[in-house]
Amino acid sequence: MKKPIYIFSDGELKRKDNTLFFDNEKGRKYIPVENTSEIMLFGEVIINKRFLEFVSHSEIILHFFNHYGYYIGTYYPREHLNSGYMILKQAEYYNDKDKRLYIAKKFIEGAYKNMRHVLKYYQNRGKNLEDIICCIEELGETINSVISINELMAIEGNIRGAYYKAFDKILGNPDFKFGIRSKRPPKNSLNVLISFGNSLMYTLILSEIYKTHLDPRIGYLHSTNFRRFSLNLDVSEIFKPIIIDRVIFSVISKNIIKKDDFDGSAEGLILKEKAKKAFIEEYENKLMTTINHRSIGSNVSYCRLIRLELYKLEKHLMGEQEYTPFVAQW
Amino acid sequence: MGIEVNGSLMQSYTICERQVWLMAHQIIPDQDHPYIEIGRIIDNTSYDRERKKLNFDNVVIDLVKNDKDNFLIGEVKKSSKAEKSARMQLLFYLYKLKQSGILAKGQLLFPEERKKVNVSLTDDAESEIIKAIDEITNIIHKEKAPVFIKIPYCKNCGYREFCLS
Repeated sequence: MKKPIYIFSDGELKRKDNTLFFDNEKGRKYIPVENTSEIMLFGEVIINKRFLEFVSHSEIILHFFNHYGYYIGTYYPREHLNSGYMILKQAEYYNDKDKRLYIAKKFIEGAYKNMRHVLKYYQNRGKNLEDIICCIEELGETINSVISINELMAIEGNIRGAYYKAFDKILGNPDFKFGIRSKRPPKNSLNVLISFGNSLMYTLILSEIYKTHLDPRIGYLHSTNFRRFSLNLDVSEIFKPIIIDRVIFSVISKNIIKKDDFDGSAEGLILKEKAKKAFIEEYENKLMTTINHRSIGSNVSYCRLIRLELYKLEKHLMGEQEYTPFVAQW
Repeated sequence: MGIEVNGSLMQSYTICERQVWLMAHQIIPDQDHPYIEIGRIIDNTSYDRERKKLNFDNVVIDLVKNDKDNFLIGEVKKSSKAEKSARMQLLFYLYKLKQSGILAKGQLLFPEERKKVNVSLTDDAESEIIKAIDEITNIIHKEKAPVFIKIPYCKNCGYREFCLS
């Protein structure tokens, strides 16, 4: 199984013949090309064209994050899996209003059911979430009847609004109050964690899309914008509640990340490097957790579930099997 | 659709029609699949000394050499388990060469097993290949992929998760 590599320190990424290494005053660290799926760059890193040529050849994606831990962009090497057939199908389902709305609804349906699942879990553990669950269930029932993407986005916004209200009840930690959802920059610690986690999710799904025949620029819920990726944002909706939000709850409740893991600065709060690493460790563990997959008949990791989700979407586009989103059941 | 039959389609043909269709539409199997990785490594590292890849038409021949004045082409495979499909692939190459006026002999090479199997294009084999080309052409021109049918081969197939998801 190929793994991502995270680089937090400053230094230079270099190629020597057919190997890669990271060089700084602390020494030289080799990067196993055959076992690396992507490189996540958080530190200040110098790279050159020779390096980019080699990562392209090795089909390794680079994701860049700025000083604050926000996603900046991706070096997405020339597509290595090209299926004209699949791209035309993807576009066909985008251009047809009904076909597009169907897929967009499925993404929101998956997001909604997974959010509800997370809440039900905490309700079973004695948290008073009855009102919130009722509220998002009412909203959830209306998903099927909407007739436009904008309406769908509005419902999604309302569901998420209600869902985030539950965070304070679940966490019960005054150091991590939700307040309102704030981005760029997030205004409080909890929002910093949500933004950081969501960025990780977007890049992971982008990396998985790279290994399929889908074009990440054609999304269904998020309008296609050929200047940026959108399909990964669509698919993230399904997985954010069950992967990122659960990681957030666990790092806070286990005291892995505490109030003093954040630094204030002119442009907002920054998660300290040590805390970023701790968050990623918990996140990687979550991704490696396996569940028994009924139709495949074996254990499948959360990370792999994402790939399967993309396969299901491909089969929907091929007119083989109607797409149904992954919904957690345990 | 301007798809031509090639060696890998011929190889798939004896295994699974769905695989033929998917491959022909460039929906290639999961490249992280361990067997596909192993195949790639064996192909890159075996028979280094005599290795000469040959490209012509839409055919890539793994290995070409002269064997006692005979022109010999080889196809490298991980295991002889799927010998029938490997044989069809090689016969297809021999047939393509014959059409270009080159008579050659074939050899299946299984470096892991230190085993070699001779293959020659008999009249029977030739008509089998012609029939197969015809049927493959039919499959790939179908509007939709042939439906998934579970077979023993699925267990180690790079399309396994695609088909089952």
